[in-house]
Amino acid sequence: MNPSRYHKLSLILVVVIALCLPLVVRSATYLHILILLYLYAYLTTSWNLVGGFAGVLPLGHATFVGIGAYTSTILSLQYGISPWIGMLVGAVLSSVVGVIIGLPTFKMRGAYFALATIAFAEGIRVMVENIDYLGPFQLNGPRGLQIPPLNTGLANMMFASKEPYYYIILVMLVGVLALTWFISRSKLGYYLVAGGEEPEAAQALGVNVARAKLIAMALSSFLTAFAGTFWAQFTLYIHPKSVMSLDISFEIAFIALIGGRGSIAGPMLGALLLRPVGDFSRIYFGDKLPGLHLIIFGVVLVLVMFYQPRGLQEPLTRIYNRAMRHLFGGGETA
Amino acid sequence: MKILELKKVRKSFGGIMAVESFSLDVEEGEIVGLIGPNGAGKSTLFNCVAGVFPPTAGEILFRGEKINNQKPWDLCRKGLARTFQIVKPFASRTVLYNVMVGAFITTDKRAEAELRAMEVLRHLHMEDCKDVRAGNLTIADRKRLEIAKALATRPRLLLLDEVMAGLRPTEVDEMVAIIKRLRDAGMTIFVIEHIMRAIMALSDRIAVLHFGTKIAEGSPQEVAHDERVIKAYLGEEYGAA
Repeated sequence: MNPSRYHKLSLILVVVIALCLPLVVRSATYLHILILLYLYAYLTTSWNLVGGFAGVLPLGHATFVGIGAYTSTILSLQYGISPWIGMLVGAVLSSVVGVIIGLPTFKMRGAYFALATIAFAEGIRVMVENIDYLGPFQLNGPRGLQIPPLNTGLANMMFASKEPYYYIILVMLVGVLALTWFISRSKLGYYLVAGGEEPEAAQALGVNVARAKLIAMALSSFLTAFAGTFWAQFTLYIHPKSVMSLDISFEIAFIALIGGRGSIAGPMLGALLLRPVGDFSRIYFGDKLPGLHLIIFGVVLVLVMFYQPRGLQEPLTRIYNRAMRHLFGGGETA
Repeated sequence: MKILELKKVRKSFGGIMAVESFSLDVEEGEIVGLIGPNGAGKSTLFNCVAGVFPPTAGEILFRGEKINNQKPWDLCRKGLARTFQIVKPFASRTVLYNVMVGAFITTDKRAEAELRAMEVLRHLHMEDCKDVRAGNLTIADRKRLEIAKALATRPRLLLLDEVMAGLRPTEVDEMVAIIKRLRDAGMTIFVIEHIMRAIMALSDRIAVLHFGTKIAEGSPQEVAHDERVIKAYLGEEYGAA
């Protein structure tokens, strides 16, 4: 059997398992953990377009989660517009904000870029916390917005049980992974990687590095806003601390760095590893040692950066390939 | 036809004059060498031509068009490619990937870019290491990769910045042969080099830069016997030989 065949087969297997999981996992708690795992895998994969491929470290992506969440929620609460449409509006708006943030900040390098994105994100969060009304739109400042669970159903992206949410985020995740795979093999992907690794060399090869990064930023913030809408519909209550806080941005970066930036599998692997650690430490130690998961993340990050600076995706891919070779006897293929 | 014209180009950084009133014409199909001691301003001049920064004064014309303030990526699209003295491979990616970045300049299709990149690699006898990570290459192969990347953009004029530094003598000979082949294929080449044996064998014409000013220009023979060049750069023994 040739290697691309067994890659495809194992991918299909994974998707089938994911589709069947809710039949096995009956506990709402575990399903909740899985949904958040997918959500973070989705967020990190969207982030990865900029933070991974373009080689910069944005630490303000919570802003785009917030824009997505607030836009769709306000549109549905005040104007009765379906969150599905609000999701798109939020994404467009988020994209515009992403480009506005990107224009000045992409001129900076390394830590300065990271700090600038934090500054933008925190600035926007503080503004939202202090505004009750933005023109005709009711933001409610720090109290946030509550979505009354009245009209459940697909049209309103609101469900009484967790299974529908599970399938929605699963579809979103598969979609964003496919998109990333497609981009990584496209001209844009090559230009992003080149511009991220050696900007001067890339420019000399005809790459407008700044433009490539802005396109990536627009795409990334667009996709991230979708997650915001999903989050709002899933929890039915949003406030600046829940959808715009730095914690979200940091956790995305943790997952990406540990899983492997710039790879397609990295964010997925990072989320698979870190999210359960976080959730279970919160379940079992939440009362005695709140924040324990952050310490664990820190330790894991240090260890990974020390021994596998490209993230866990690299050794795991190697093991996977070797296992596949043993199983199917693919010969000299890698 | 003149492909590149430099007219009284000057470049200063703050109060420091890097290049002063430098004029030179490069004809289509020529190999022109640029030599001079370290710090003479050779790379600065290349950077001005390639659009990294604009000259302080003077004019640079590429195929008759003034390009003083144009950006590197636009110039590359117009047919002006360069290599870097300190090689800049996309280290985490394969050789093929590196070259494909250049090849994407005229196409949006991956298959086409790959085809073109492979052509270039074959031309430089690098097809065997196409799947090697660029960061793992030997210095000679890194230098060749620099050229491969630039060639993938299909340039009319190629600026080579010390592509032979650090190579063994046999590798230098190989590189000279490669560059000559490129010229025979119709490319114009402007080359900075320190290895005199190579630059003498390659160049149709040589310009000598010293403290930012041109002190000589002519055929390799003329330059090698020029009093000022011997004094400033080649050394007395070279003139005697």
